[in-house]
Amino acid sequence: MTLPCGTRNYNYAEDMAIVRTRTHWALLIVLLIIVFTGPLYLPNYWLGVFNLIGITLIAALGLNIMVGYCGQLSIGHAGFIAVGAYTSAILTNRLGMPFPVALISAGLVSGCIGIIFGLPSVRVKGFYLAITTIAAQFIILWIINHWGYTGGFNGITVPYASIGGLVFRSEASQFYLIIIITIICVFIAKNIVRTKIGRAFIAIRDNDLAAEVMGVNLLYYKLLAFFIGCFFAGIAGSLLAHYTGSLYGEQFSFTDSILYVAMIIIGGLGTTLGPILGVIFIRILQRVLAVNLVPFLESHLHMFPSGFASGVNPMFFGLILVLFLILEPRGLAHRWALFKSAYRLWPFSY
Amino acid sequence: MKNRKLLIITTVICLALIVTALPLLGACDNTEKTSTTTSPTTPVSVTAGPTTTTAPLKTSATPGSTETLKVGIMTPTTGIAAEKGVPLQDANLDCIKYINDELGGVNGYKIEVDWLDSNYNATQAVANVKKFMDDGCLFFTTSSSTEMGYVQEIANRAGFPGLVAYASPSNYHPPQHIYGQTPDYGDDWIGFTNYYLKNVWKGTGKPKMALMLLNNPTGAGAKNAAKALADTLGVEIVATEEHAATTVSEMESLTRVKALKPDVLYISSTPKPSAVIIKNAVELGMFPGVTIGVCHAAMVKSLIDLAGADVVEGVYGTFPTVMWTENVPGMAKMTEYVKKLHPKDEGNPDYIAAWAQSLIIAEILKKALDNVGYDVLAKGDAKAWEAIEKYGFQKLAGYDVGGLQGAVKYSAGDNRLTKFNRVYRIVNGLISSPSPWVEAPLVKYETFDWYGK
Repeated sequence: MTLPCGTRNYNYAEDMAIVRTRTHWALLIVLLIIVFTGPLYLPNYWLGVFNLIGITLIAALGLNIMVGYCGQLSIGHAGFIAVGAYTSAILTNRLGMPFPVALISAGLVSGCIGIIFGLPSVRVKGFYLAITTIAAQFIILWIINHWGYTGGFNGITVPYASIGGLVFRSEASQFYLIIIITIICVFIAKNIVRTKIGRAFIAIRDNDLAAEVMGVNLLYYKLLAFFIGCFFAGIAGSLLAHYTGSLYGEQFSFTDSILYVAMIIIGGLGTTLGPILGVIFIRILQRVLAVNLVPFLESHLHMFPSGFASGVNPMFFGLILVLFLILEPRGLAHRWALFKSAYRLWPFSY
Repeated sequence: MKNRKLLIITTVICLALIVTALPLLGACDNTEKTSTTTSPTTPVSVTAGPTTTTAPLKTSATPGSTETLKVGIMTPTTGIAAEKGVPLQDANLDCIKYINDELGGVNGYKIEVDWLDSNYNATQAVANVKKFMDDGCLFFTTSSSTEMGYVQEIANRAGFPGLVAYASPSNYHPPQHIYGQTPDYGDDWIGFTNYYLKNVWKGTGKPKMALMLLNNPTGAGAKNAAKALADTLGVEIVATEEHAATTVSEMESLTRVKALKPDVLYISSTPKPSAVIIKNAVELGMFPGVTIGVCHAAMVKSLIDLAGADVVEGVYGTFPTVMWTENVPGMAKMTEYVKKLHPKDEGNPDYIAAWAQSLIIAEILKKALDNVGYDVLAKGDAKAWEAIEKYGFQKLAGYDVGGLQGAVKYSAGDNRLTKFNRVYRIVNGLISSPSPWVEAPLVKYETFDWYGK
């Protein structure tokens, strides 16, 4: 990693540290203070938006491990999120289990289902693997819609998340629950890719044959990538279930699965920062278009009939995504890296 | 030097922890943020719980130009149900414009609409309802049972009242804070089946019925009703097939159904899939032959446009409003507005349903204003929500929506505000031949062991 001019690492611990300089620490602390004091100055609506961003981010981190680091293309991520959501719903609603047990179980069950659908990755890769994960999406949703325990098309209600006697009822308390779990997941994801496992993932992504020759067990590591990626999806699903309070199979659509892939591509594949930036960008863009732009156009352009601006929403959304992929195909994380490099050399950009 | 550095870092971290822990502890007090707001100056006190509500008083405030009554309206204007969402949005907003411009609002207060597109998407719908609550809306409306399904638990938990135009039993069984503007998809099935048995079925014994259901609450509503009442009414359900809203062919499922030789095919779905199913039934030689009935979500103009008038000729369907050709008091003004603002929507029953919904919105606000006054409603907080539900929704007693739909009336334990349906038939490309208004009985689904499982 490039360090600011004059900064050197003098021992292994310093070399391995994620947060390296005093400026890093200061910025991190300021960021945490801003985040954790959010409920003091953010209205419930924006807390709700950030709650959804946090949940989406956890799922995107998992997908990034599978796709960005290990190169195992998955277009069925919403299905794995659904597994986690319904696991948590069934455990808490039908079996009366506590939320922490349901949360971990959601991750584990989703991870195990991920392993099953990841098995074809041993034989196929790329678009062929993508097709098998699409199948996962539809199989999972079919089971959810037809298994009585899930409530089928009538849906299932999910109680508030609670730990001991502490019930996460208000938007602010849910914000803290989600944000703390999100931070833990970001920390875990960041560290996984710095371990032997992460290096094996990257080796498989870059050239699986070479990796195998070097002694990387392809079966083990590919399935491990599916397990970890789907574990994160399960955790996200569990949080989503307890946040929305009701679940229907339609909430986990194929379109959502594609959107998750779009998020990590826009953010920057194969970086931990990428999913964070991608998720924030997409979710905020969706809200700005739906809540600000469309009603603004409706109320200001009276020469058009009411309803015209609704069509503008998907057009703008698509246009921004296309322009983004043309102008910055390596993602927002790359743009951030360029900015950091320029900042560190400033004012001597040569 | 090293210890000093450590001390500074520790101090900063401790301060940061204190700052962050304070709101965390405050937030986890197990109470809703919105329910804590009170106003000592409010002349009317509406406290929590059904037995502690004090008597309502009228206030004689004169409306100012900035004093409005805020309502959240959500329609699926984009996404896979846009063919219904667009006319629904048009009608909702056109009618509010009519109420504000020509009627001067409600008791002099203009209705301020917080309109948002749901995209028929759960994430977007959830965020929309949070925004409605945050913006101080008095209640919210959705068009579809599915949209309401996504958000109903959030609304119920907060006590935020909601009105859904096209409901499914799962939206309000058991009844909480969500109300149905029209009879639900279960009532559609009951209404159609009764009509079929009395007016169409000429055979002996029980007719064989096949259900073609959308894989969401729209389909589940009919499935629940059939499960609860098929034996009682005297029909045999021989097949239950499900499809997605994005289906492009149902040849496979219809081939299975055809082999069972049903007398009647009932489709509980939206226009696009219903058009696909009816076209496939024609291609398989099933229709004409079997009787086809559709629910009110599909009995609209876009079904005829999508499938073709010749294909859907003779199809029956339920709908909870009158049709465009009928001479009822509310028709003239609605027709004037649709011609002026959205001529493409003329002839579409969805427009009538959403226009009626906006009239009901105004009536709910009027009842609440008459009973508790503007000051209670002005805050748009949990107390205002409770007041609007108790003195608005639950005070509706036979409101006549200009004859556009059945009378709007709340009955305790039944959150369907209208219980009346009609059965129509498509003749010469027009939805016509209405049956008399038929009252749909209340089915207490929550009392069945299988419900929700």
